[in-house]
Amino acid sequence: MIVAISGVNDTDNPGPGIGVARSLKEADSSIKTVGLSYDVQDPGNFMDFVIDKSYVLTYPSQGWEPIFNRLLYIKESYGLDAVIPTLDAELPSYIKYQDDLKEAGIKTFLPNLEQFELRSKENLGDISEVLEISYPKTKKVFNIDQLKKAVNEIGFPCVVKGNYYKAYKAKSLPEAVYYFTEISNEWGFPILVQEIVKGDELNVIGAGDGKGNSLGLVAIKKMTTTHLGKIWNGVTIKHEKLLKVAEDFVGKYKWKGPFELECIVDEDNIILIEINPRFPAWVYFATGVGVNLPKRVLDVMFDKNSDMSGDYESGKMMVRYTYELITDIDKLSELATKGESNGYKNL
Amino acid sequence: MRIENLAVNKNGFAFDPTSGETFTLNETAKEIIEDLARGVEEKEIAKKLSEEYDVTQEEALNDVLDFKEKLKLYGLLP
Repeated sequence: MIVAISGVNDTDNPGPGIGVARSLKEADSSIKTVGLSYDVQDPGNFMDFVIDKSYVLTYPSQGWEPIFNRLLYIKESYGLDAVIPTLDAELPSYIKYQDDLKEAGIKTFLPNLEQFELRSKENLGDISEVLEISYPKTKKVFNIDQLKKAVNEIGFPCVVKGNYYKAYKAKSLPEAVYYFTEISNEWGFPILVQEIVKGDELNVIGAGDGKGNSLGLVAIKKMTTTHLGKIWNGVTIKHEKLLKVAEDFVGKYKWKGPFELECIVDEDNIILIEINPRFPAWVYFATGVGVNLPKRVLDVMFDKNSDMSGDYESGKMMVRYTYELITDIDKLSELATKGESNGYKNL
Repeated sequence: MRIENLAVNKNGFAFDPTSGETFTLNETAKEIIEDLARGVEEKEIAKKLSEEYDVTQEEALNDVLDFKEKLKLYGLLP
């Protein structure tokens, strides 16, 4: 079985790819992992104990065709049975063209476009109502006048965020205008102005089978984060209401594939902040406590029976750390000149 | 009552499995929390404390009530 995985940028702002690959390898060492990389220096390209072979791809902004052709090339030259995309920017294309991949003999396990749109911040208010949880007071704005009106209504500090990416805390009108301009220049409209809510940042990782059944859920609390908000240390928790919300999400929307719910929780008040339609970078944490979601997703993809038990212990901690890997520059040379690693192990 | 679910180890490190919060407790706090979680009455806890430490029952009761307010602030008591 050969599985391609993107997001192998295992940096201080890590992608989920290495966690996915590690989960698969630990479940079945015969699985070959292919790293799909957008930068020759992505650490995953050099981590031969997790990634068997790496390929450099053109950025998703260049369109689907080069990526699709690259995947066909990988299938022909190395072999490829399935692909697990893990980066936000790639997902719309993979979702849109999942049938083309299927026809080419490359399996995926992704939500459909309609489900994918649910995670748009515009729709989170409606989802919160369906799941009977809260959503912060949010105003959609398209110009500075609307922005001024929205911040007056919501008050400072508030959050200025893009519909899909980026969020900043604004403490004054000039700051709000600055972030409005920055986000809209990069990601377009609408821009959302949102109230700041208090509580603990609790997240749930899960996956759905597309028929309303959960493939497993794990809830955590972020204990420390990087300046970009990525989890560094975390602890598993058993917040029954939060886990029930995640289960309802899978059931009510017949969610297919992996996801992460980001919530702020104040006692029993659960406030939905974001839904990520992919594995989060901390995916291996769930694997480490016995809920190997990448393997379960792969098993469902290939109609295999898998252990879908939801149980894990609370009070298990994840500690991320940095480490140095010494290798030969030949590997970088292969990637830079041929766009793929030689597949040999580091010496 | 979340206090009942608190996992407190012998060193006084407490973990709330619902919220993921952690607390460091001194010996007295540990004792009070363990008693409250077992449903022991405040007066009974104060009596015990006054026997163990050099305080009157009244002083101990005030401390227990004061501590309960702190636990409420942390969301551990309703």
